[in-house]
Amino acid sequence: MADKKRRFHEEKKFITRSGPVQYEIAQGFVPNMRVPGRCYVNSDLEGLLFDELKAYSTAGGQGGFLPAVKQVANVAALPGIVGRSIALPDMHSGYGFAIGNVAAFDMSDPEAVVSPGGVGFDINCGVRLIRTNLTEADVAEKKEQLAQALFDHIPVGVGSQGIIATNTKDLDTILEMGMDYSVREGYSWAEDKEHCEEYGRMLSADPSKVSKRAKQRGLPQMGTLGGGNHYAEIQVIDKVFDDVAARKMGIDQEGQVCIMLHSGSRGLGHQVATDALTAMDRAMSRDGIKVNDRQLACTRINSKEGQDYLAGMACAANFAWVNRSSMTFLVRQAFQKIFKQQADDLDMHVVYDVSHNIAKVEEHMVNGVPKQLLVHRKGSTRAFPPHHPLIPVDYQLIGQPVLIGGTMGTHSYVLTGTERGMAETFGSTCHGAGRAASRNSSRRTLSYEEVLNNLKTKGISIRVASPKLVMEEAPESYKDVCAVVETCHEAGISKKTVRLKPIAVIKG
Amino acid sequence: MPVYRLAAEGNFQFEYLDHTADIQIHAWGRSLEEAFASAGLGMYNYMTPLSDVAVDPACTRTFDVEGHDEQSLLYNFLDELLFVFGTEMLVCREITVVKLDRMLWRIHAIGKGEHFERGRHSSGTEIKAITYSAMQITEKENDAEVFVIVDI
Repeated sequence: MADKKRRFHEEKKFITRSGPVQYEIAQGFVPNMRVPGRCYVNSDLEGLLFDELKAYSTAGGQGGFLPAVKQVANVAALPGIVGRSIALPDMHSGYGFAIGNVAAFDMSDPEAVVSPGGVGFDINCGVRLIRTNLTEADVAEKKEQLAQALFDHIPVGVGSQGIIATNTKDLDTILEMGMDYSVREGYSWAEDKEHCEEYGRMLSADPSKVSKRAKQRGLPQMGTLGGGNHYAEIQVIDKVFDDVAARKMGIDQEGQVCIMLHSGSRGLGHQVATDALTAMDRAMSRDGIKVNDRQLACTRINSKEGQDYLAGMACAANFAWVNRSSMTFLVRQAFQKIFKQQADDLDMHVVYDVSHNIAKVEEHMVNGVPKQLLVHRKGSTRAFPPHHPLIPVDYQLIGQPVLIGGTMGTHSYVLTGTERGMAETFGSTCHGAGRAASRNSSRRTLSYEEVLNNLKTKGISIRVASPKLVMEEAPESYKDVCAVVETCHEAGISKKTVRLKPIAVIKG
Repeated sequence: MPVYRLAAEGNFQFEYLDHTADIQIHAWGRSLEEAFASAGLGMYNYMTPLSDVAVDPACTRTFDVEGHDEQSLLYNFLDELLFVFGTEMLVCREITVVKLDRMLWRIHAIGKGEHFERGRHSSGTEIKAITYSAMQITEKENDAEVFVIVDI
C-alpha cells in the first residue's frame, strides 16, 4: 500500500474487459498478486466500481479506505490462493476482503491461509425462505395485522433480547449441534434441516474454541433478528422464470405468499471474528506471513490459530442456523394466530436456507485436477449445480436454490446454481443488492417521510424499530438488485427461477 | 475549529463520516484520554441517542482494559464498551478516562449512564464490531483525535 500512488488512467490499464459482463484485474495492480482478479459487472454497475477507484486515486483525504477492486487484488496476493480472486456484481468495499468477494485456498499447500476477514464479522449471515399456500388476496385484508404480529413476535433492533429461553448449557449444545438442537427441542420441523446448507449443522464445530466473552454476548440474543440490513419480509411471487425449478421448490404460483428471513450469528459470531482477528495479528508476525493490508489478518490453515478459528466459526455458523430456525418458529406462530390454522396446514415449509458469509472445505476442479479447497465467501452465496452431492435430494435435478434478498421495498430472487458457476466461480454467485451510498449520506439526503411514502405507494407495510435505519436502508442507498441478478444470469453463474416482491417489511 | 469537525453531534466531541457499508466515528478532545472517551460516546450514540439517556448513579461502572500498542488499546477499549452494552445493556452518557498508561498500554475509565430499555430509549443502529480499518490516532499539544470504523 505504501507504494507510489498511480493516477486513475494508469490504474485503469490493469483492468480490462474480458466478456460482456466481466473484467479481469491483471497481476501487478497491487504488489505480490499470485493470481489475477475478476469482477462480474454489467454496464449499469461498472460505473460504481470505477468511481470508487477514481475517488481513491485522485484524493487521499483523511480517514480514507481502500476501494473494492484494490481489496479484491490484495486478496489475490494471499498465500495459497488458487484460480482467481472473484468479485460478484454486488461488491463494495469491506473489511480486508471486499463484500462480494470469493477466494479459494489450496488445502494441500502448507502455506495456504484462512482469513476471518474473508468470512466477515457476521458469520453465517444468511437468508431463509419459507413458503405458504396463501395468496396475496388471502392476506390483503390482514396485511397490517400480520406485519404487526411478526414485529411483536420477532425481537428486532438494538438491545433486543431473545424470548426463547437459553441457558449456558443449551448454548454449548446449540454451538455443537446446530439445527439438530432445534429439531430436538421442537422449534424446527425435521424436514427443515434437509433444506439447509450443511443440513443446518457444521460437524467441525468445537464449542471449547469459542471464548466465554463470545458466549456471553450470544446468550441473550438467541432468536433475535438484529439490526442493519437484517429483516423479515412477507413477500409474494411476482414472476416465475423457470417453471420446472419453481415447481420443485413449491413456489410456482404468481401471487403466492412467502416469508424471507435475513439474519446471522448475532453478537456471538461478531465476537468469534473479533477474537480470531486479535489472535491472528500475533500469529502473522510469528509465522512471517506478509500481506498488503493489515486488515487481511490471516493464518495458515493448519496452524493452531487457523484450526481454532475454523472450529469457532463452525460454532457461530451453527448458532446462526438455530437463530434463523428459532425465528422460523416465531413466524409460524404468528401466522397460526392470525389465520387460525396450523402452520403445516398453511404449508409453511422451509424452501431453502443459504449462508452468505462463510468459509467451507469443498472439492473443486483446478486446472483439470480435483482439489480440496477452503472457499471463503464473503457476501456471496454458494450456488452448486444440479447433481452435486452436497445439495438436497429434492433439488438434485434443478441445482441448489440460491436466495437473494433485495433491500427494503425492492424485489428478491430465487436462483439456481449452474455448471458454469461451478467451473468459473467455485460454485458461487451474488448475495444481494450491495450498498452504493454510505449510511451517512443516506441519512443526510433522504427524508424519513419520503422513504416511508415511497413504500406506502408501493403497498408495503413497514415496522421498523429505528427511524434512522429507514433512511440508511432505503433502496436508494443500494445498487439495483435486478441489475445484480441479471449480471449473474448473463454471466451464467446462476439462473433466475422466481422473483418476489415485498408486501410487508420488519426491520431493526 | 477544523472544518471537518463541524458535523459534531450536539455538544459532543464526535461526528460520523462517510463509509460505504459501515460508519466511521471521528472523535476528538484536548487530550488522548478525552478523544478515547468521545469515541466511546460516539459509539453509544449511534446505537441509541444519548440525549435520551439519563445518569443512574447505581449504574456507574469502571472499565479496565489492556492493549499492546495505541491502536489495540483503543480497539480493546471500544470492544469492552460494546461487550458491556451487549451483556449488561449499559449505555454510558458520560465517560471519563481517568488513566491512560502509555508504558503498559492500560486504561482505567469510569462510565455513567443507565440500562437500555426498549420503548423508553429510542433505537439507533446496531453495531456488530470494532475494526482496525483505516484507524488513525493523532496527538498534538492540547488536541487529540481518533478515527475508527465500526461494523454495522
